[in-house]
Amino acid sequence: MGKIEWAMWANEQALAAGLILLTGGIVGVGGMFRGWEFAAYSIAAGVFVCLLEYPRGKKNKGTSVERTGQYCFTVCVKAFGPLTRNYYVRAFIHAAIAVPAGFMLATVLGCVCLGIASLIYLGAAISGEKWEPILPRTETRKAVGESIKQPPQNPPPRPPAEMRRKRAEDLEGAAYDNPIKVSANDE
Amino acid sequence: MVLSFKSWFANEGGKHFVLILWLGANAWLFLRTFLTYSTGQQYYYLYKMLGLGLCISRASASVLNLNCSLVLLPMCRSLLTCLRGTHTLSSRGTRRLLDKSKTFHVACGIAICIFSVVHVSAHLVNVVNFSAFYSEDLPALNLARYLGEDPRMIILTTVPGITGVLLVVILFLMFTASSYCIRLSNYEIFWYTHNLFIVFYIILMVHMVGGALKYQTNVDTHPPGCLRPNQSSPELQGEELEPGNEERRCKEEARFNPHYPQTWMWVSGPLCLYCAERFYRYIRSSDPVTIVTVIRHPSEVIEVRMLKRDFKAHPGQYIVLNCPGVSSFENHPFTLTTCPTEEKETFGVHMRVVGDWTERFTELLLPKTGVELEILPMVQQRRYPKLYVDGPFGSSSQEVFNYEVSLCVAGGIGVTPFACVLHALLDGWKQFRLRRLYFVWVCRELQSFYWFSELLCALHHKLWQENRPDYLNLKLFVSQTEDLQSMSEEKYRPLSSRLSIGRPRWKLLFDEISNANRQKHVGVFCCGPKGISRTLHKLCNSGRYTGVTFEFNKESFS
Repeated sequence: MGKIEWAMWANEQALAAGLILLTGGIVGVGGMFRGWEFAAYSIAAGVFVCLLEYPRGKKNKGTSVERTGQYCFTVCVKAFGPLTRNYYVRAFIHAAIAVPAGFMLATVLGCVCLGIASLIYLGAAISGEKWEPILPRTETRKAVGESIKQPPQNPPPRPPAEMRRKRAEDLEGAAYDNPIKVSANDE
Repeated sequence: MVLSFKSWFANEGGKHFVLILWLGANAWLFLRTFLTYSTGQQYYYLYKMLGLGLCISRASASVLNLNCSLVLLPMCRSLLTCLRGTHTLSSRGTRRLLDKSKTFHVACGIAICIFSVVHVSAHLVNVVNFSAFYSEDLPALNLARYLGEDPRMIILTTVPGITGVLLVVILFLMFTASSYCIRLSNYEIFWYTHNLFIVFYIILMVHMVGGALKYQTNVDTHPPGCLRPNQSSPELQGEELEPGNEERRCKEEARFNPHYPQTWMWVSGPLCLYCAERFYRYIRSSDPVTIVTVIRHPSEVIEVRMLKRDFKAHPGQYIVLNCPGVSSFENHPFTLTTCPTEEKETFGVHMRVVGDWTERFTELLLPKTGVELEILPMVQQRRYPKLYVDGPFGSSSQEVFNYEVSLCVAGGIGVTPFACVLHALLDGWKQFRLRRLYFVWVCRELQSFYWFSELLCALHHKLWQENRPDYLNLKLFVSQTEDLQSMSEEKYRPLSSRLSIGRPRWKLLFDEISNANRQKHVGVFCCGPKGISRTLHKLCNSGRYTGVTFEFNKESFS
């Protein structure tokens, strides 16, 4: 029922995988384990993946929830145009990034998780999804003047201004019959 | 706003007490297991080989056992509904804790994720150490087959290694699909990945098979650190053996046994309970309901009245609908707006048509407007789709009757739990503890009030007839101020005279309630947008109203 947007899930997975790569890389470099060059690579790879995946894309229907402070990332990612808009490219990039991380024990988990994210992006691309940036809408504020564009067509039931102006001089003439009858018992 | 301790404690104390208990249990378990492995005699040799990684991994494993067993319990909804209804939990404070069951589930889930990360990292270090410190003296203790074996081969060729990788992958899938954003937009992804929990638990129970970590069984005959028969102590090189040294000689070689898998002891109870609950719910909902009437209301709301055999519900409970004609696997919760009584067995829900499931469901139930109806010679009965109902499940709104004074705040379609409460009061209000009800309903459009205008007026008239005009205090608000409208029908006079334009002013309302109900506990029930419930929660916690305690209860589904 309804079209599932796979890209949103792939985005969450890729962000989590980027963080796992980063952590694994830090551990690998910190302990200077065998193959620490791969760990250094995966730190850089993790940072890159996080930056790429941080801005959330726009949903096809419904309101999109932004991540905090994602506007500047959105602008950067949008600048790459079709490279970042197309999910086939993203799937390929993630698969390519994940491979070297698989050669070291500390980062192998990040490799697996990024691989899964890449597969889901592939699925999203096959179903025709695209990355659209969430940009703030320029809201057209209703000018205050517009709400009073339609002045009342009928005046309230009181005599025109000339008769009212004479009130001070002519107290008796100021009294008038209300055209609409006001009675105590309304219908 | 000044936080008064008494108000804060009445509202938040129970939750925080349970949180502290849970954190304490986790911390105690972690420390106890850590100390067992770092100081225990039977782990002496293993600790020498693996170091801290052993202690951290085992300690986090025991915390994981606890949380994996606890995480299932808040999801046994039928059981919780039962507990809420019976007098097992006689204290209102304990019943309020059940409202937070989903939060507890999330807390346990997050703990599982965090400690899984710790557990996996520690075990990766263990695997490296198993490989690097391969012991020739104690061959039984080794997991690696030779010195310097590639740690990745060790992982991929042992049962704990492979099951561990699978568990991490499943946990990764479940965790990434559980974010708020995904639940809001693509609930199916969340639901289907979360149902992988059964695979997770089965793999978890075989995770320890293979016995990678072993403990020493003969500590008394081979005290750890004792000297082998052909070994001499480094300090006593060249000196005569002292008599006390005889005890330091090993009587026999160290023997090791792997651990018996323990996870099943923790996990099987809650897992069986949860599976039994799902099975019970499946059986209970397999009886299809008969749809009696469908009514279209203004502002895109339809009311569906149904009949089901042996269906009993209390006001404030909700049901879950499944319509195979719309979607076989989707289940959607709706609060009951009329409960079955002795006189009338039908029950009903009001649903707002927003989203593809409700749109398709409405299409199946009602003909499209504008379609010409043929006049057939025979009366053709309207064929409604098959509908299955699971429930009823309890919610916080059931407590409205258990306070002397209650304030119910509804936003838009959030009025549904309170509509059921009002129906129950219409049938009879004397038997409840409730003595005064403040009912605040905020809608965007005036048309929305027509959903329950008859009910409100009927209850108002009945209470005035029975000389209890102060029982029900109605306040209706229309928040969109552009087009000024009013309810012009005479029969809805009680509503139009209590209708205000603009948003309600909560502080004034709370002042009015506290002035009229001194020295009482007022139950505040909110079912509406987050903004309103946050404001009300803050007001309830603030201590401005001396003598009156406002207890906040929130109803939500997502």
